[in-house]
Amino acid sequence: MSGYRLPAGGLIDRKAPVRLLWDGEGYTGFSGDNLASALVANGVSLFGRSFKYHRPRGLLGMGAEEPNALVTIDRGPGRVTPNLRAPALPVYEGMAATSQNRYPSLKYDLGEVNNSLSTFLPAGFYNKTFMWPRAAWEKLYEPAIRRMAGLGESPKASDPDHYEAVYAHCEVLVIGAGPAGIEAAITAAKADPAARVVLIDEQEEIGGGALSDPDLWDWLKAAYDDISALPNLQVLPRTTGIAYLHDNYVAAAERLTDHLPISEATGPRERLWRFRAGEVILAQGAIERPLVFDGNDTPGVMLASAGRTLALRYGVAPGRAVAVVATHDSGWTDAIAIAKAGVNVTTIIDARATVSADLLAAARAQGITVMTAHSVIGVKGRLEVTAVETASTAGSISSTIPADCLLMAGGWTPTLHLWSHSKGTMKWDDAWGAYLPDQPFENTRVVGAGAGDWSFGSGETFAALPTPRPAHKLKAFVDFQNDVTAKDIRLAVREGFRSIEHIKRYTTNGMATDQGKTSNINGLQIASESLSKPVTAVGLTTFRPPYTPTTFGTLSGHHKGALFQPVRKSVIDPWATAHGAVFENVSQWRRARYFPQGTEDMHAAVNRECRAVRASVGIFDASTLGKIEVVGPDAAEFLNRMYTNPWKALEPGRCRYGLLLGEDGFIRDDGVSARLAPDRFHLTTTTGGAARVLNMMEDYLQTEWADLDVWLTSTTEQWAVIALQGPKAREVIAPLVDGIDLSPEAFPHMALREGTICGVPTRLFRVSFTGELGFEINVPAEHGRMVWEAIWQAGQPHHITPYGTETMHVLRAEKGYIIVGQDTDGTLTPYDAGLAWAVGKKKKDFVGKRSLDRPDMVAPGRKQLVGLLTEDPNVVLEEGAQIVANPAQAIPMTMLGHVTSSYWSEALGRSIAIAMVAGGHDRMGQTLHIPMPDATHRVTVTGTVFLDPKGSRLDV
Amino acid sequence: MSDLTAASSDAAVLTTPEPGTRHTGQGVTITVAEPTLRLSLRARDAALLASATGLTLPTKIGDVTETAEGYALMLGPDEWVSLGTPANATAGQPLAVVDISSRALGFIVEGPRAEALLSAGCPQDLAKITPGHGTRTIYETVEIVLVRLTDGAAGPRWRVEVWRSFAAWLWGALVTAA
Amino acid sequence: MLLIHCPYCDATRPELEFTYGGQAHIARPLDPSALTDAEWENFLYIRSNPRGRHRERWRHTHGCGRFFNAVRDTVTDRFAATYRTGETGPSDADLGGAQ
Repeated sequence: MSGYRLPAGGLIDRKAPVRLLWDGEGYTGFSGDNLASALVANGVSLFGRSFKYHRPRGLLGMGAEEPNALVTIDRGPGRVTPNLRAPALPVYEGMAATSQNRYPSLKYDLGEVNNSLSTFLPAGFYNKTFMWPRAAWEKLYEPAIRRMAGLGESPKASDPDHYEAVYAHCEVLVIGAGPAGIEAAITAAKADPAARVVLIDEQEEIGGGALSDPDLWDWLKAAYDDISALPNLQVLPRTTGIAYLHDNYVAAAERLTDHLPISEATGPRERLWRFRAGEVILAQGAIERPLVFDGNDTPGVMLASAGRTLALRYGVAPGRAVAVVATHDSGWTDAIAIAKAGVNVTTIIDARATVSADLLAAARAQGITVMTAHSVIGVKGRLEVTAVETASTAGSISSTIPADCLLMAGGWTPTLHLWSHSKGTMKWDDAWGAYLPDQPFENTRVVGAGAGDWSFGSGETFAALPTPRPAHKLKAFVDFQNDVTAKDIRLAVREGFRSIEHIKRYTTNGMATDQGKTSNINGLQIASESLSKPVTAVGLTTFRPPYTPTTFGTLSGHHKGALFQPVRKSVIDPWATAHGAVFENVSQWRRARYFPQGTEDMHAAVNRECRAVRASVGIFDASTLGKIEVVGPDAAEFLNRMYTNPWKALEPGRCRYGLLLGEDGFIRDDGVSARLAPDRFHLTTTTGGAARVLNMMEDYLQTEWADLDVWLTSTTEQWAVIALQGPKAREVIAPLVDGIDLSPEAFPHMALREGTICGVPTRLFRVSFTGELGFEINVPAEHGRMVWEAIWQAGQPHHITPYGTETMHVLRAEKGYIIVGQDTDGTLTPYDAGLAWAVGKKKKDFVGKRSLDRPDMVAPGRKQLVGLLTEDPNVVLEEGAQIVANPAQAIPMTMLGHVTSSYWSEALGRSIAIAMVAGGHDRMGQTLHIPMPDATHRVTVTGTVFLDPKGSRLDV
Repeated sequence: MSDLTAASSDAAVLTTPEPGTRHTGQGVTITVAEPTLRLSLRARDAALLASATGLTLPTKIGDVTETAEGYALMLGPDEWVSLGTPANATAGQPLAVVDISSRALGFIVEGPRAEALLSAGCPQDLAKITPGHGTRTIYETVEIVLVRLTDGAAGPRWRVEVWRSFAAWLWGALVTAA
Repeated sequence: MLLIHCPYCDATRPELEFTYGGQAHIARPLDPSALTDAEWENFLYIRSNPRGRHRERWRHTHGCGRFFNAVRDTVTDRFAATYRTGETGPSDADLGGAQ
């Protein structure tokens, strides 16, 4: 025997050695090993340091429940993953694993000083200590505590891997491929060949507990054959069911490449399965409970099931002199089975007074000493077990048994995490000493050990093993991962915590990444004992997804990098990119913000663009604006009810600025809209409001005014919109347009004409958001780029200048045109915003009208939109800056409002701003103040139109 | 930190694919369809709509009527979309015909793994959509109209219609998943 | 992710295709000008928030696009019924007693 590897047995491939690194040292395992079995085979017993006390820790379990052996795996830059459970990691050639939470090494960890200070570091210590001086908490105590306590190191580089996500539908989903799950899946698939049946399991291969029971291997092989003969049964190993959500929606994470050598790992790293199942069958088995006694966390103390799995599935002896402490028959059957496989099991200690004669005889037949009515009261050894201290349960006779491994068999807890996610109820079972499933909420059932439908033999429940030693001197662990002892739980009860929810949170029992898989029930039993209440009166905490820790990448699937989220781009975007535009995000869109030339910064570019538009002509992509085609005999009636303005008399070929309120009377959206025909309107909305406005309109049409014959169609993406603004605008497009008389007499401001431009159909709007002569050229999006380029060429003699959203903002602000969502914040009425002219005085009703009559909506002192001119014309105010009347008042000051829009105006040679100010309309000419960190600025209140108030520049 | 800010501008590299662009994946081909006439048709009276426009329209939500030039799909109780066939002019009647030809792009997804590819992002049970049926639905966060056409030589054939500005992202997502 | 039965499509679809539409059966007053401020406030802002059966609206936004009504239990998230706009839907008695 080399190391602890047994000469024969196990499901490993002894012909395929695998080399790996553990804390920098080389070890060899076999293909089929996991990291835990490979290291134990090589005699490693020290796997980590505990979270708080930095106690030396070894392997406790060989499954998802493992709380101690948390390691970091390095698969290259950006691929270093901490906090992985060693038994869940299949070995591969070149695997590089390191232990965590220790400095400078696992064997000599300075953090172990915490263990000596443990009296001062009980559960919740940070609520009672490290309080003085207060300032020291942030700078000294907290950083120190965080450094000492620990799981591994957080990655610092981005994850370069990509991940998949898929939806899958099936008639039956079986979660857990142990014997019960396999049988359920095969039965379901055979019962209906048309049914899609999926069987998933978190382990590298299916078989579950059968993999550790050679007596079942023939059955397993026959099951494999059965499965491959069923085309409607899909088997997914390496796939963990992490969440069971509404209506049988189950999320499962499949590991695709982490088991492969790095050089072979191509393709996505993990796949998130999003199942929708007709029926879910839960077959997740049961997890063995540790026993609670002093020193039960010493490396070499592990679950009996872990000893069995190591010996029978991996061909590894857990120790060379193995003792067993049991309160359940399964400890005996495990001990006997591994003894038959060649492990030196010396003693079984059982706290029960009587154990079945069969088990006694079988144990003795293997040469095992049996000690019933005995308890383990201590463990000798620090970095590994050297001996086990026992005493009779009566407290008297004691002995010390040399051992290098102690297996614990404290009973079994059915694994009901996903059952609990699905809101299935549970009922306490005294025989199991655990909760069993009771009533399902979804269409699901539990089979196998999870349902209590498995025989591990009988047993007795002990909250903690009896001991004659004084309780306050003992370190008997309940939650291994969070370093919670039985003493901590009793302390919580003494300090007044009654509910298990509070006890859990105060002690952190069950709150580690293992979600209490080996600690919940033991903690509950101890709390129940301390409270002198039955377990069912204490309660059970809630299980929450994910069942085991899950990579963030898996949850985000394809949504990273370029695919993180859709970025909507207009058809003009490539032209803008090619011409050096700097972009900004507006809602889901990407819009050109400005077009810097040479070394221009934004201000220089915007100033140049502004000058160019007012002097000659600028071209702007307005394609992102929302557009809705309103069609039907009742189109005008509908718009009349929705908007504040009157629409019925609008002639075909004319445009109107529409203002949309909520029923609460506040401004929601705006836009210039045109009537094409008696029964057809082309509505526009803001870019960000398009979907919202359409949804609001559909709501009224479908649920309030269903009798109206009018229908709405989103045409936002049907039309590319090229805005051409400036005195030369007409001259630029004249040669390109056909079928439309562009003269000012034939084509007034706020009108629409249909014709062609560059040979393609156009809806030509004469509208202006800049105060200059302007057109918005709507063409079908597929022709947008071609028409843009044609206009660009035609405009060259006029020094046509492309401009972006920043310039657009400045030019409209100079004219006092508001932007909904920037100058309005959902609390402004049309009157507040200076848009009373847009409200149809004779209209009997429209959305929001009733609210405008509320006294509060016409009360003095409401915030109203005004202009602000700074005393120092070179000061550009900050948007959002607060406004006060008296800068000398005490803090907190009375704030009158804030700056909503603020720019440098090339046209005026000074700064301008728009603001919401309480009672603004009555403050014309007043001086107000804007306190800023560096200075307080004086401003004069003005109207909102700074340039060409008569609009003569439009009259060309 | 720089890695994280770079991610949001990565989307800039996605471009809208041109008609005819093709990508072949595992058991599936995705092709960008040629531009076509698209009409949104609305009316409460289906018979009136069909006779006024001269189009053949299905009468059950989710049904597709294939034509030589394209298809017509009933999306809702008063909503159809029609591809390929021009409609007679209508005016003043209780119906709406709106040209939305430029609004969307079409992708043809065909092959034995077409359903599996679409299931990467569409949460419906696509096995339940047989040829001659379709629906408006969602692919991850992007709205699509999904139509199962008659099976072709290469296997099942689907048409995915997506609004133009989302097409670059959707193409990227389908190509990545294929 | 819930499964919701759209009464127009007559099909059960995943929640991602739908958007929530608030409390159901709140009719916009035919003549808002006839309402007192208190009555108007009630229409605008006052909503029920039951622990249990809630009559609410959903819209099959990424589907047929229709608004419809539903009876959903706010504790269990179970839908007891969905029905078309304009219909009254099942009464509490129909659903098995008062709540």
